[in-house]
Amino acid sequence: MRNAIRIGLLLAPGVGLVLAFMGAVLYRAVAQAFGLYDFSGTSDGLSLAHWQDVLTTKRFWRAFQWSAYIAASSAVIAVALAYPIALWLRKPFRGSLILSAMLKAPLLVPGLVAAFLLVNVISYHGFVNEFLVWAGVWAEPRRMQNDSNGFAIIGLQVWKQMPFAFLLLSGAVQAIPDPVLNAAQDLGAGKFARFRKIILPLTTKAMQAALVLIFIGAAGDFSFQTVAGPPSVNSMASYMASLQGSEGDWNGAAVVAVMLMALSLFGAIGLTALVQLITRTLGRLA
Amino acid sequence: MRKSPFNTILSGLLIAVMTVWLAVPFGMALLWSLVDPSQAWSYPDILPPKLSFERWSLMWDSTSLPIAMFNSYSLAPMAGVGAVLLAMPTAYAFGRLEFKGKAVWQTLVLVPLIMPGFVTAIFFASLLFSMGFFARYPAILVGHVVMLLPYAVRILSVSFSLVRQDVVNAARDLGASPISVFRVAYLPVLKPGIFAAFLIVFILSIEEFALAFVVGSPDFTTIPTILYSYLGYNFIRPNAAVVALILVVPNVILMLILERLLQSANPAGISGKG
Amino acid sequence: MARLVAEDIAVRFGTFEALRGVDLTAESGSFVTLLGPSGCGKTTLLNVIAGFLQPSRGRLAVDGKDITALPPEARDSAMCFQSYALFPHLSVADNIAFGPRQKRVARDETVRRVDGLVRQLGLVDHAGKLPNALSGGQQQRVALARALAVAPGLVLFDEPLSNLDAKLRDQVRNEIRALQRDVGFTAIYVTHDQAEALALSDMVCLMNKGVIEQKGAPRDIYFRPRTRFVADFIGAANLHRGKLCGGAMSTPLGVLHCCHEDGEDVEICWRPEAARLGGDLSGTVKAVAFQGAHVDVFVSAGPETVRLQVPGELNVSIGDTLQFSVPPEGVIALEASANA
Repeated sequence: MRNAIRIGLLLAPGVGLVLAFMGAVLYRAVAQAFGLYDFSGTSDGLSLAHWQDVLTTKRFWRAFQWSAYIAASSAVIAVALAYPIALWLRKPFRGSLILSAMLKAPLLVPGLVAAFLLVNVISYHGFVNEFLVWAGVWAEPRRMQNDSNGFAIIGLQVWKQMPFAFLLLSGAVQAIPDPVLNAAQDLGAGKFARFRKIILPLTTKAMQAALVLIFIGAAGDFSFQTVAGPPSVNSMASYMASLQGSEGDWNGAAVVAVMLMALSLFGAIGLTALVQLITRTLGRLA
Repeated sequence: MRKSPFNTILSGLLIAVMTVWLAVPFGMALLWSLVDPSQAWSYPDILPPKLSFERWSLMWDSTSLPIAMFNSYSLAPMAGVGAVLLAMPTAYAFGRLEFKGKAVWQTLVLVPLIMPGFVTAIFFASLLFSMGFFARYPAILVGHVVMLLPYAVRILSVSFSLVRQDVVNAARDLGASPISVFRVAYLPVLKPGIFAAFLIVFILSIEEFALAFVVGSPDFTTIPTILYSYLGYNFIRPNAAVVALILVVPNVILMLILERLLQSANPAGISGKG
Repeated sequence: MARLVAEDIAVRFGTFEALRGVDLTAESGSFVTLLGPSGCGKTTLLNVIAGFLQPSRGRLAVDGKDITALPPEARDSAMCFQSYALFPHLSVADNIAFGPRQKRVARDETVRRVDGLVRQLGLVDHAGKLPNALSGGQQQRVALARALAVAPGLVLFDEPLSNLDAKLRDQVRNEIRALQRDVGFTAIYVTHDQAEALALSDMVCLMNKGVIEQKGAPRDIYFRPRTRFVADFIGAANLHRGKLCGGAMSTPLGVLHCCHEDGEDVEICWRPEAARLGGDLSGTVKAVAFQGAHVDVFVSAGPETVRLQVPGELNVSIGDTLQFSVPPEGVIALEASANA
């Protein structure tokens, strides 16, 4: 009993504070979504009216789909790029250290700066345009900023998040002891069989973690969207911010917040299940 | 043993690509920040017609950049110290004690990392609004401390777990007071972890945008919010270039120091054995 | 069962020569140990035989077929790793079935082998568990079963017992030897423990600095060491160096007799247990260690100290003068080491 109190006291300023703060914020979001704390003062009581308002808006569903699309593409592409590199750099060789340091460099660049740098490079007057025009590939510069497919945003997310996926995956890949792979080879497993039956199942967790964290981060993106995204669409975060900021609709923003968290949750579950399925299927192949 | 030409070629190629990948964007930012205000850099000029530091001094004199820098660079160390102090007891419990539900608490402390930043920011602002709390500086400070606590807790937990019980026991066996035990057995091992935790919170606080933007709106500025203002509807590229460089360069240097510290925080470095 | 022939195997890591031309023949069904101190090249040789390392020179053949260029997965050998190297995500049964599945053994045959091995190695209660849930000894047995499941002609052991405690080590050691006889495979066994090597092997290859210093039956190696290194590494040996004249060498302890041709600079050795009490050698007792069945007595005369093993009931104390003798057949003349 005394011990429990001691643990409680130790946890209070750290975990305790975090949970109190995040709990209050989360409660506030959910409560406002259901009509409580209505600052406009029109009504103050439990109601589904704000859900009705938001969920019937076309702009909201555009934002929802858009964020889901950006987040899923970014997560999958970042992991798809990071995984083979992590495998390749499993065993150190000359130059591999410099290479992995450079791969991690984007971690040092804040998101807004990254967005600015990309806009600079792809802008009408940017390096890509000048280079391609100079090389004679294009007759004149083209407009690539704020493209309507969101390629710039996905590119930014991948640029920023790939190092993170690389860290997680290379940690998992390097944690596989050499003798385990040697044993598999010794028992007749070729390169591909070793990948499917040993490496893949032993790195599934890291891959799921990377996908989920990148998905959640990209789903909640605001700055890439507002700087490099197409002006005709919102992301969930930018829609939420515009409801709260320019329209003063806190309760509507709360509905978007809850939906964003739901998107994060279901996206996470979906990606985790997908990876599980792929690992299982590949493992079963003879 | 066997040298693979494939590896050499591919890694050489990738290093070249990565150099372009990093050097071109930063080179362009640097060029843009040096464009002289009197002569615009526009198509079809390949390079700016005139270079000067005019833009830098103009920004310093006529915008809120100095205030933003003061805000950012005073918030960050306070957030760092606050987060380290608050994280210590929890990190001690995570690193050195066994108790029921430890794994659950260790996961729960990470909640701020998976919560979308703008959700946290907006509904924290909503709470402040309800409470009638309008002092934005302390509000942002509290927000930064809490949002960045998970990093401090994680790093310090590892440090605490590296403290060797036999050294602690030896110190107590030789009659050391609790303070001496801490100085002799804990502090040397914790030191790199404390610095690392402080630095990471410092860096991330400087970079933090969502909370500073939402809670600080409309006129409380930090370096990221001022950068955002030059990137948004009021897009001024050379100004953005200046602020981007001010934001990124010190952080890169700090990150490199951090990397060093984290390396020296590993067990081999402390016990002197592999 | 397979007969392995290795000829002139050499391996280089940069400028370091890990193996410098090793010849080895393991007869079909025999148990061969590679014994030596760390860094002698024994594990390197094992890795060459398994195929994890390509030798820079030399040739390997199994049953007359050259396998030097074959990758590990195509060789008829299976390895038991020091760290066990079990697949952490697979159950015990799946670990054991891994090899047969890779080698496309028929499904019912795979099941039969797994069942048989699980029973034989006492793992019936653990077949469904993950490796992490098992004790060290059990994990070692799973590793053994997994290697045997591919019905290899050649089983390679890389210090398989080094992570077990002393009692378990004896037990598993006997199990390995019994299995080798029952199942019938050729075993190549790497160890740095001379007792293990002597107890298990048909042939011991004592390695030093990248070459095989001496190979032979355990008794040969023990009673007829050819070089100082062998005499010293296996068991305990008392060494003397000097002029051998008329089969006699004078030492500070007295004159030792030896059945060997004379020479100016000859090195001879004898085992502590070869000494008999009474005789014309003598020295002062410097230290005594009671071991139960026998007593280790350290006797010195002049600059030399030798070790004797005398019966446990004998009462000697420090400072006594001890008279003893060594029969000529117990004294062995040594050659200069290949690695002098």
